[in-house]
Amino acid sequence: MSTARALLDDRRTLLGVLGALVAVIALLLFVDLPGSDLVTVGALERALQAATPIALAAIGGLYAEKSGVFNIGLEGFMIFGALVGAAVAWLLAGGEGITQVHLWVAFVAVAVVSGVLATLFAVLLIRYEANQIVAGLAVWFIGLGFGPFAATVLWGGVSSPSLPNVDAVSVPVLAEIPVLGRLFFDASPLVLLTIVVAVAAWVVLFRTRYGYWVQAAGENPEALDTAGIDVNRVRYATVIFSGVMAGLGGAVLSIGIGSGFTGTGVTMVDGRGWIAIVAYLFGNYNPLGTYGASLLFGAMDMLQIQLQTIGISLPGSITGLFPYVAVLVVLVGVGYTRVPSAVGESYDTEE
Amino acid sequence: MSDAATGVRSLADRIAARMLDASVLERVVIALVATALALLIGAVIVAASGYDAVEFVSSLVYGAVGNVSNLAFMLRQSSMLILTGVAVAVAFRAGVFNIGVQGQFVVGGFAATLGILFAAPLLPNSPVSAIPLLALATLLALAAGGAYGALPGVMKAYAGANEVITTIMLNFIASGVVYFLLDAYLRPEGAAAPNTEQFPDYVGLPGLVFESPSFSILGLGVALLTVVVVYLVMDRTGFGYDLVTSGYQEPAAKYSGVDPKRMIVRTMTISGMIAGLAGALFAIMILGYYSDPNTFPTFGFDAIAVSLLAANNPLGVIPAGLLFGGLDAGGQYIGFTLDVPSELVDGVIGLIVLFVAAPELFRAAGQYTSLGGDRE
Repeated sequence: MSTARALLDDRRTLLGVLGALVAVIALLLFVDLPGSDLVTVGALERALQAATPIALAAIGGLYAEKSGVFNIGLEGFMIFGALVGAAVAWLLAGGEGITQVHLWVAFVAVAVVSGVLATLFAVLLIRYEANQIVAGLAVWFIGLGFGPFAATVLWGGVSSPSLPNVDAVSVPVLAEIPVLGRLFFDASPLVLLTIVVAVAAWVVLFRTRYGYWVQAAGENPEALDTAGIDVNRVRYATVIFSGVMAGLGGAVLSIGIGSGFTGTGVTMVDGRGWIAIVAYLFGNYNPLGTYGASLLFGAMDMLQIQLQTIGISLPGSITGLFPYVAVLVVLVGVGYTRVPSAVGESYDTEE
Repeated sequence: MSDAATGVRSLADRIAARMLDASVLERVVIALVATALALLIGAVIVAASGYDAVEFVSSLVYGAVGNVSNLAFMLRQSSMLILTGVAVAVAFRAGVFNIGVQGQFVVGGFAATLGILFAAPLLPNSPVSAIPLLALATLLALAAGGAYGALPGVMKAYAGANEVITTIMLNFIASGVVYFLLDAYLRPEGAAAPNTEQFPDYVGLPGLVFESPSFSILGLGVALLTVVVVYLVMDRTGFGYDLVTSGYQEPAAKYSGVDPKRMIVRTMTISGMIAGLAGALFAIMILGYYSDPNTFPTFGFDAIAVSLLAANNPLGVIPAGLLFGGLDAGGQYIGFTLDVPSELVDGVIGLIVLFVAAPELFRAAGQYTSLGGDRE
């Protein structure tokens, strides 16, 4: 366990592991080896799509936890995002003929609404020192209740009608590159945008002053305070950011790659917010590692289709459980990675 | 250096002050205000969605206690919520966030079902057989629920896996696996729905006071008895003392010789056993067969709200469970009669949890309006 942790701590090792993974996938794609049938360009495409909502929420949650606030409400924010995205697109178009413009405006609306909700949540957590675990669970319950409720008010049932989603964008020239072209440059722009966001999140967190503030707010809030930075302001910013990112992740599910809002059972988000939390733990609070972990869970999500193509037919009720089992294996195997030392503690200045 | 020391000191002072402040009366007030505020927001949302808010509230009350059959339904839901609520309270009290009561409940009910379906043909087809069958079902439910609770306990104690996440994953896994087994092996030939066959007629709890096919006052009795037993164990035994101490004073518990890892596993096992018992009651009293767990009511999640509202006190779970049983019954009634989607009540329950999580909010409001007296 401790060796696994030490391995993950070492950034060079992480890059090495990622590089080896890419090499193995490439080998399986181009050379006919046992297991090659499982790795196809189509499978990678589906895995990248499935990873997108998880990665967005996970990067948001990572920032909040790095700054000392455990945002366990990601799942709830994703439900709100999925609902608001579908609702705004549908209302803008008046129910019929939703265009790409409507969808992109809906994404902006999701960011705004999630931001407002996350601000309220942040006030409860930071100003009123609410129990972070309980309040986060409450956000999930509120989403589970008001999500399908609002859907029923709008559409007469807990799910929306079938809606269009964001079109694939084909970048001239780049789309011609074998494999990579189809995966990134002739695909949903959301896939590529999410990768850009992951890289940007890495740069900001580890290479800018603001990123150091975030880290200090979680590791040593007293020192940050002494340096004249308002700890709680940093935390407000990260919690609001995490809510916006989770909301966008939810919207990706409903109008980005999916076809509308589904409100049956635990809604279409179906545990992805929880998986996102594990993704950033597994990624050891590194946005790039987090993206890799999201990709792993996304691939698990899509494994059913792959197993069918090679003739293994397991019932959907069992294959649908793979991501959850993977989460358990990851949590038990890697254990809880080193949590920022001030997570869960509210910070009061000494004046 | 001295700054850090005063920091720790003031933190300890604040924690101590918080403990003393949190009197029973204050908790009751917070619970009531949180519920009232959540209902108020619910009513505003109802009005904003174009429904009649006054009718919403009055129907909510009528649906809970308006007539004898509504009351029976409410008490049925309350029995389940009290039982699952105690399961949550045991764990939360010990500082372990068991969000997996729903999964333990599903697994316990499934084990009870298997016991009844497989043992019934071996026993004479007479009401006397009900007693050994019910005993067997209860034992299996306790064992299965306990084991399914112990699993995340072991993961937390010995591998450091966060129990909030593992138990939520195990909820999904329990529903998926039980559904698969029902669908593949227990569905009678030619049946369309993934249900097991009906239990024999004599397996069930007699209605007694209420003439309801799915509620027996004995079910409520089981729930209340469990509450009393848990309360006595927590309040009067050394084990209970260790459990509660582990919850808010782990170093002290450790100092007095408690092994925190074993305590976590034990706590989760007990919590899971109570959840499993709730599953047996659900299968025997309410269903009379077993079905796709994804369609079950989410007692195990609402139980979290019940326990928090009761400040994780086993005795407090009784009024909190009655309140939530009423909300649940009223919400379903509204769904049938007013066309107001019953999910609204789930949202209101979420708001209650949110407000209960932030007692400081009410303290601040109390100070602002100077209702809370002069503090500081």
